[in-house]
Parts: sequence; structure tokens; C-alpha cells
Amino acid sequence: MQRYLLSRVIQSIMLMFGVLILVFFLVRLTGDPARIMMPRDASPADIEAFRDAMGFNEPLPAQFFHFMTGALQGDFGRSLHYRAPAMRIVLERMPATIELSLAALIFALIVAIPLGVIGGSRPGTIWDTVCRAVGLVGQTIPNFWLALMMISLFSVTLGWFPTFGRGGFSSIVLPAVALGLFPLGKFTRLVRSAVLEVRNEDYVRTAYSKGLLDHRVYTHHIFLNVSVTLVSIVGVQFGYLLGGSIYIETIFAWPGVGRMINEAVQARDFPLVQALAFVSAAFIVLLNLLTDLAYVLIDPRIRYED
Amino acid sequence: MNTLHTKWKGPTLLLALSAVVLLFFACGQAETTEPEIVTLRVAVPTFPNSLDASVAAERNAQNVSWQLFDSLVWANEQNVIEPALAERWDVSEDGREYTFFLREGVEFHNGEPFNADAVVYSWERGIQPHIEWSDRWARAESVERVDEYTVRITTAEPDPLLLGVMAQHWNMVPPLYTQEVGDDGFGAAPVGTGPFQFVEWVREDRVVLERNDSYWREGLPLVDRVVFRPIPESSTRMAAIQTGEIDIVNRLSFEQADALERVNDVDVVTYPIDRVFYIAFNNLTTGIDQPTMDPRVRRAMNYAVDRQAIIDSLFGGRAQLATGLMTSSNLGYDPSVEPFPFDPDRARELLAEAGYPDGFEIGFAAPAGAYTNFEQVAEAVQGYLAEVGIVTELDIIESGRFWDLEAEKQLPPLFGDSWSERSGESLPRLRGALGGWDASFSAWSDPVIDDLLDRISVTIDQDERAALYRELHRYMQDDPPFIYLYVPETFEAVRSNVRDYIPRAAEDYFLMFTYLD
Repeated sequence: MQRYLLSRVIQSIMLMFGVLILVFFLVRLTGDPARIMMPRDASPADIEAFRDAMGFNEPLPAQFFHFMTGALQGDFGRSLHYRAPAMRIVLERMPATIELSLAALIFALIVAIPLGVIGGSRPGTIWDTVCRAVGLVGQTIPNFWLALMMISLFSVTLGWFPTFGRGGFSSIVLPAVALGLFPLGKFTRLVRSAVLEVRNEDYVRTAYSKGLLDHRVYTHHIFLNVSVTLVSIVGVQFGYLLGGSIYIETIFAWPGVGRMINEAVQARDFPLVQALAFVSAAFIVLLNLLTDLAYVLIDPRIRYED
Repeated sequence: MNTLHTKWKGPTLLLALSAVVLLFFACGQAETTEPEIVTLRVAVPTFPNSLDASVAAERNAQNVSWQLFDSLVWANEQNVIEPALAERWDVSEDGREYTFFLREGVEFHNGEPFNADAVVYSWERGIQPHIEWSDRWARAESVERVDEYTVRITTAEPDPLLLGVMAQHWNMVPPLYTQEVGDDGFGAAPVGTGPFQFVEWVREDRVVLERNDSYWREGLPLVDRVVFRPIPESSTRMAAIQTGEIDIVNRLSFEQADALERVNDVDVVTYPIDRVFYIAFNNLTTGIDQPTMDPRVRRAMNYAVDRQAIIDSLFGGRAQLATGLMTSSNLGYDPSVEPFPFDPDRARELLAEAGYPDGFEIGFAAPAGAYTNFEQVAEAVQGYLAEVGIVTELDIIESGRFWDLEAEKQLPPLFGDSWSERSGESLPRLRGALGGWDASFSAWSDPVIDDLLDRISVTIDQDERAALYRELHRYMQDDPPFIYLYVPETFEAVRSNVRDYIPRAAEDYFLMFTYLD
């Protein structure tokens, strides 16, 4: 187990190293930041001077070396647009994004787990139809459209929730529901099909034959088995939500990293894009690692051999 | 069977988890409201990158920042320069030396005195290359202290735009505080002499300013507090003005403005902005051997495009036809210059005269996602040109890439773009777009235009300069370096109790005069 853990950690570190290399080269495929940062009536000489000052004129290997040595110390340089250390800017906005992603995830799980269990335990009934409909709708409705519709109904017409911004519980309801819709659909389908599958397993029949009550069979034998699948997908989805809430954060003016990604790319803010990409990737790698560990805790059949 | 248990499990679990969620967010921050304080809430579409006016990168960040500062001079709504921190000034015979007599007894928000040393320090800081608008500060060659309340500002050449640029860009900063906190610290918590003082900046969420009680313009500002909220999505801005969460929103689409006109308690504000849209020709690189080198062809292409129809169908009729590269609020705009009428027959005649009776083929590019409906405008232009036989291959390019190519002068011989200008004069825009090899984004060079621009840039006398602009304006109609398109209007909305909110053509505003009824 320890050796497995160690090898997973080493793998993750190597993965992050690869991410750094990718991040460095990818931003250099886009436009010239010097021209975008300088005023439009700046002369070619001014632009050249700016490029020189920013180090964009150095040979690529030298730029790469500077980037890597800085990145290993958590220094991604200064944001060209915000004029502050890029990493600090990203970390300042992370809590808002984590809060929104968590709320969306919790909302999705609260609805999806009971719905999926009910649907999966009674295939063909009206409950199952509802369950499948929610699964389909959740995964197919574009969340930005739903967000605008919800603002129009719940904020403008009914006045129940604030239109935008972050502050207090009421402000997170609409963005969390909009953001949670996709994972909600996904989880519902997943739980339903997992329950359907597991309830026909031999050990479930054995449990019933031991005379266990229905709810005990569900909590101890079915749900615990379903949760292995659920945990892996929740981990992936959480990572996805952290990086993928660009539209929702933009629409609700939520002060997180999602909508900053958009700005950073538009402004060709190299250091900021790099720091953002690195932090997002780090979260996903970390979540994957935690997911792997969670398997062991949940399912005693899963063992990582030494 | 025991299915009852399963039936009830869902709702119970739901309740339990909701309780957890509620607990989780109960400890979050709550909105604080102080009823006796009059607060003006303004939405801005982008997030300020800095609150230091010399570093604030674009219009909206500048608007937030400038509520905190003053310059030596101020441009009023008619773009006439008025005294601000300088009570008056003298200009030397040769037009290169300005002596400013400063207002006495003015203090920065932190209590530092405003005097000649502060002016000299602000300029020395402003010309540092890492300052965003250093080129604006560098229009002055030197800034010297004469005595405590007198400074002398010298320019290398007579500079007719100096006062305008100072009004727009020279924010006076307190030397001690600025040195103490450094440039980053200053951008995060700025101190000026302006009508409002800094309270709080929650990144990406809000900037809070409060009334400067000892402001030198007596009786101003009229509200106690201003809160700027960044809302990037225009649909959300529209919703927020309807619910009354915000008092002033800008940058709406004309469809949104139309819809808001039917809403109670909301007033729509519309005005033409100082931005000109055009299709540029190229006579420096890719256009050298093209038919568009002939002025008759360029005139023909202006006649061929029904700009009014484009404005009507894509902008609800709410834009003005462009002539020259000037807008009606610019100095020397000649209203007698008529926009090219839509006349495809005349276009065909001119093409035949120039030796292209059957038209020709030419490359055409436009930026994607940079401006409202501009891709559709380019497609419409393509259609109109095709009707007189000019077949264009339209390439719509991602805007960052497009501007790179524009700066490398590697765009096709026809390309669409726009140019805004906030100094109140069209000189920087004309120089930028027509300055030939010396200008980063120009693809055009014409000795007649160069000569007129050179003369304009050293003529201090307003009337003489206006006459030169008029000459240029007429010349650019006879030998057009662009297909002139339109000057757009912008749409804003305010709650109907907002009074004296006066945005200008450059989309800037000063909230010291604004109040709530």
C-alpha cells in the first residue's frame, strides 16, 4: 500500500511536470502579447521595447528555463494585465470557485442519489421515468441558457434571489443550481444503472436470504457498492466544475477563477493563463489521487498490492 | 415488502443534507446596509486591473479610478479645458512652455498637501516605462517646480493636445504614500485628491468609494458612497437594473435598450461614441499591386455599399454614417462633407473608368468577436461589393491573431476594424491608422495626409487646427483610404431616480455631479 501510494505520488508529480511543459508552449502558440498590451497608436519601436522588457525576445530555451525555475518555486511571474504576482491572483479567487463548485456538487448529489436509488430499485415505474427524464434533461440543457432563464424568473419576476454577485446563502442558489445541473443528470443516470446492476448480484440475494430488511440491504450491500462508482465520477466532476464554470461565473458575476480565465486569454496574459492552467491541473491530479485512496476505504475488495 | 423504507429514504437524506448546506453557508458573509447613507451602485462590464489611473488598462477601469483623482486641468462635457488643480496657466510665445499656478490648500485623502512637488513626483513616476500610460505622461519633456504652487511644463515641440492628454491621463498622486506602498500597493489602495476616496476593493466583486468631505470643488460630490460592481454579462446587467440592484449600467445591446424602454423605473441613455468603423485599404504591403491603388476604385467601393441598410438591419438604425475618420464631436469635423450615398451605378461607372468594368477579386479580413455584429457587417459589405463585380474572399480571423497580422501589415488588402479616441480630437486616431510605416496598425501612407497631420500636430491655435482638419476631412473623401462605415451609438440605462449622470462620447463619466432623487 505504501509503495503504491508513493508510486502514485511520483506519477502525479511527473504529470504536473508535463503540464508545466505543455502550459509553457501552448500559450506561445497564440498571439503576440506585446501588441495587445500596448496602446494602439504605439509605434513599432515602443512595442519592440516593451517586448524586450518583458523578456519575449529571449531565445525560447532561455524563456523556458526561467519559467521552469520560477514555477518550481510557485512563481509564475507577474500578471501583465493585473500587475501583480499571477499565482497570488489565482489563489485569491480560488475560494469563490471552490465554494460554488462544492455547492453545485452537493446540490447535484442531494437530488441525484435518492432519485437514482428510487429509479434503479423500481425499474419501469413512474419513479423510474422521472429519474430517467431528470438524467436526460440535466445532461442536455445548456447551463448558460438555464442560468439566464432562472435570472429572468427568480430574480427579475419573482425577486427571490439576487441577480448576481457573491454574498450570503441566497446569492449562491441560482449559480449552484445552474452549475449543478449537468453533474445532477450524470449522477442520476449513474446511480440508477449501478443500483439496477448491483441489485441482481449474488451477494444481494444472499443478504435477502439471510432475512435482512430491505433498507439494510440497500444501505449496506447495494449503496456501498454503488458508491465506489459514484466516488470515482464525483472526483472527476468536481475537477471539471472547478475548471469549467466559466459561463456560470460570468453570467452571475461570481468572483472566481472561471471568468478570469476568459479575461486572461483575451488579454494574452501569459503568466496568468499559465498559473490558472497549472492550478486547475493540480486540483484534478489531487482529486484523482484522493479518489484512488477513497476506493480502498470504501471497498475492502480493492487492495493495492505491495 | 418493505419498500416503504426506501420510499422515505430520499426525502430524509435530502433534508439532512440541506441542513448541512445551510450550516455551511450560514457562516458566509452577509450584506450590510446602512440606511441613512446614499449609495450609488454602478455596474461595470470588466474588472478593473488596477485603481491607479496611470495603470488602469481600459475605459471601465479608468472610469472607476478617475473618481479618486484630479489632474491639473479638466475637460468639461463640451470637451473644453477648464481649471482643476491648477487655477490658471500661461503659455509661452513658442507654445512649448506652460506655467501652471496651482490651487492652494488642497490635500490628498491621506492628508498629504498637494503642491508643486506632488506634480513633479507624479510626472516622474508617470514616465517610468512600466506605467501603462507612460507615453501620455512623456508628452511633456520636463516638469519643474518654480515655487511651492507653481510648476513649469515644457514640451519638445508645440503640442496642441497636451492639455487634453493631461486632463485624461495625468492623475496627481501623493509622493510620500506612493513611495511607501509602491506601485502595486498604490494600484490596490489608491489615494488622490478626487471627489471620492478609496474604502475597499474586493477583487472581481466590488470597489467601494466614499465621499471626500473636504473636496476642493465645494458642495461636491452629491452622494455619500459609490459602489462599482463588475458584471461581465450584458443580460445580467440588464436584469440587475430591472431589479434595482444597480443604479447605472452601460454597454447594453440595442435590443436590450429597446426592451428596457418599456420597463418602469428604468431610463435608457443613448449617445454616439467616439469610435469609427471602417474597411481599410492597404498601399504598403499586400495592396501594392491591387486595383485599390486607384482612388476611383476606392470611391467606387464607397458608393457600392449601402451603409444605411447595414445600420438599419444590424443596429436598429441606431448608428451614424461615418465620413472621414472623424466623429461629429471631434475638432474640425466638417458637417458639409456628405457621406457617400448608396449608388451602385456610379460605382460601376467608376470601376469601368478605372479599367475594371467586370470587377476584380481581392482578399478581405475581419476580426471575430471583437465588436458587436461586426462579422455580419463584413458579410454584408462582401455582398454589396459582389453586386458591382468585386469578388472578395472574406477571412474572419480570431481577434488577437487578427491584430497581430494587422500590426505585421500582413492582413489582406481589405480589412475591417474600428478605432476609438478619447482625447476629443481625431489626431491620434488619424496618425495611428494612416501613419504608414511609423504606425503599428496602419497599412496606408499618403504624403498629402502626412503633411496635413504634421501641420496639425504643431499648430496650437484651435481655429487654425480646425481649418486643417477640415481640409483633411475633404481630402479623405476625394481620395478615400477607407470604406467608411459607421459611428455606433452606445446604450446605457439608469434607475429613473438617478439625476445628472452625464456620460461623454468617450464613455467616461464623473459621478461627483450625480445624485438620487
